[in-house]
Amino acid sequence: MGGDYTRRDFFKYLSQGLCSMGLASRFGMPSHDLWKLISPSHALAKEEPPLKEVSFYKKLPDLKIQCEICPKKCEIADLERGYCGNKENRKGKYYSLVYGESCAAHVDPIEKKPLFHYLPSTKAFSIAAVGCNFECKFCQNWRIAQYRPEQVESGSLSPKEIVSLSKRNECSTIAYTYSEPVVFYEYMYDTAKLAKSEGIGSVMISNGFINEKPLIELCKQLTGVKIDLKAFTETFYKDYCSGELKPVLDTLKTLKKIGIWYEIVVLIIPTLNDSESEIRKMSQWIKKELGVEVPIHFSRFHPMYKIKNLPATPIKTLENARKVAMEVGLHYVYLGNVQGHKGENTYCPGCGEMLIRRIGYHILQNSIKGDKCPTCKHVIAGVWEKI
Amino acid sequence: MTRRLFLKYTTIFGAYLVGVFSFPLRLWGVVADKSSGGKSGSGKSRIVLVRNSAVLTKNKEVNPSVAGEMINSGILSLTRESTSGRAWKSIFKPKDIVGIKVNALGGKQIATHFGVVKAVVSGLKSAGIPEENIIIWDRLTKELKSAGYTINKSDKGVKCFGTDTNYDPYPEIAGSIGSCFSSIISSFCTALINIPVLKDHDLAGVSLSLKNFYGAIHNPNKYHDNNCDPFIADLNTHSYIKDKLRLVICDALTLQYQGGPAFKPQWAINYHSLLLSRDPVAIDRMGTELIEEKRKEKGLSSLKKAGREPVHIATAAKKGLGTDDLNNIEFVKL
Repeated sequence: MGGDYTRRDFFKYLSQGLCSMGLASRFGMPSHDLWKLISPSHALAKEEPPLKEVSFYKKLPDLKIQCEICPKKCEIADLERGYCGNKENRKGKYYSLVYGESCAAHVDPIEKKPLFHYLPSTKAFSIAAVGCNFECKFCQNWRIAQYRPEQVESGSLSPKEIVSLSKRNECSTIAYTYSEPVVFYEYMYDTAKLAKSEGIGSVMISNGFINEKPLIELCKQLTGVKIDLKAFTETFYKDYCSGELKPVLDTLKTLKKIGIWYEIVVLIIPTLNDSESEIRKMSQWIKKELGVEVPIHFSRFHPMYKIKNLPATPIKTLENARKVAMEVGLHYVYLGNVQGHKGENTYCPGCGEMLIRRIGYHILQNSIKGDKCPTCKHVIAGVWEKI
Repeated sequence: MTRRLFLKYTTIFGAYLVGVFSFPLRLWGVVADKSSGGKSGSGKSRIVLVRNSAVLTKNKEVNPSVAGEMINSGILSLTRESTSGRAWKSIFKPKDIVGIKVNALGGKQIATHFGVVKAVVSGLKSAGIPEENIIIWDRLTKELKSAGYTINKSDKGVKCFGTDTNYDPYPEIAGSIGSCFSSIISSFCTALINIPVLKDHDLAGVSLSLKNFYGAIHNPNKYHDNNCDPFIADLNTHSYIKDKLRLVICDALTLQYQGGPAFKPQWAINYHSLLLSRDPVAIDRMGTELIEEKRKEKGLSSLKKAGREPVHIATAAKKGLGTDDLNNIEFVKL
């Protein structure tokens, strides 16, 4: 997770992408001006966003609807929006207000998602649309996740354009990330479907707060998922995320059942979710329900949004979490946001050999052969070759 | 005496003088802003209901002269002043920058009528407030446009525009609320007039004065659980609202008793009324009574039975924002 993504960042990153396509040099102007030239109407506050009917909802009497995308199951009256703020009921029809509207676009290393066992050293064309179905008080990208579409200046980027930009930037994967992709489901689904037909993978970087039916449908188009497991108590989910733990655990079980590749990230926040007993219970649950092969990343918290009164997570706390998870028996336990720590590397569970050496998002060495440790031939779980 | 000592003594004496004279002035300011006009002689919160069936034309347009008369008689009764100018001056000072928060969400048919707002602007001008220091605002410019407002972002005349993307950069905390406020309310206005409409709300029960300030924060969608309680009340405790709100005028030319917040003609009636008060809780309580009365008359269940009792009003009273006790409300019908 890489901090805030503002409108300025978006323009910058998109321009960089376009520069790599040679467009900037063709027009012979500074890259930030290029955006205005391409899409002047969308660079300014929009009068009316493009509408796309939401895929999963049911109609109720008196023009009300009930959203069925996520477990919030918002019941929404005419002219009102759901908790995510980016879908609106208009006379009994429920519409996404962010379809084809990206508030961030960037070419990232796949390691930044983080996905460590998924096509290492490849690039992911990463996009976001405004909104989230949680409100984490420590949200790292709150300036896009916790706003409504009219409050953030987005740019028009159709699924076709995303796929095209991904190809031109030599990205193996499209990542739906930064905000919460579950709430821009239709945009993600259509893009992933088109990408799949053109040989490009799609990964969802999500809080996992999604109903089973839309998840199963979506996974038919995806090649990987990263789930933020915020903590292992309902209290934490309720008090700090306005969410629930159980549906997230259900999502993880569904992902295992489906057989899609997925990894888990836990942001460790001092005093809130860092107790040894909680980490142990979480690790035991993962081992029992998901197996020891699923990678788990313990990531370092930095003060953000509504939690600014706590310090950054001490490295020792993260190391303890890693130790506990490994004691429980999980094979791939990583540390995040701690550049240069040995906890960023991949070690063979069979012989202990270091297989992938990382510093931050950069891979310095990768000795996995096919999907095996070159020394003991232990199979390393993951997606190592393009699907 | 050295230069150093001279400066020291004059500084101490100066500070003493400032302290002595500013304290009573400050105290007077609080009394003038919070109590006069808001409370009756018996200490009750005063609400004035002005009704005139001529205020709406056959085309449901506002008759501006009738609206002006209604505002005028209402403000006179509320403040118990003898002239309109004195009435407005008892609430606003010429140096105030006044934000008029309207409700434009539901489109022209259930929005704050521009004709009512125009009459309020006339009143403010009579208190010596220049047009340039008056801003009519809501969440989005596009919603204001669709409600029939003419947008003016220029330096001349009364301003009218939505917050759009102009929110404070960091969230403010008020109880259960953590939100970035519209910079219009946080940085621009020194005083607020709230002009909500009189309507039912699907989750909060009613959308009147207290709920109308959901249009002042960046993330209202996060605060609709539990019938918006305690979120609405908490929001109204923030100093941007609590300390700046001087007057509430509920635009009850239309009353919608079911199906809100969008306009539903089958549940809306012409009510030809305005309610004025300086107590946002009292006006919401009384507005709720009017909606409940109409629901009963039309054979609908109470809001409580419908699962959306507007409990935020009682919560707001508990937080000291006003009274919801009908025994402490003086309801005057003109």
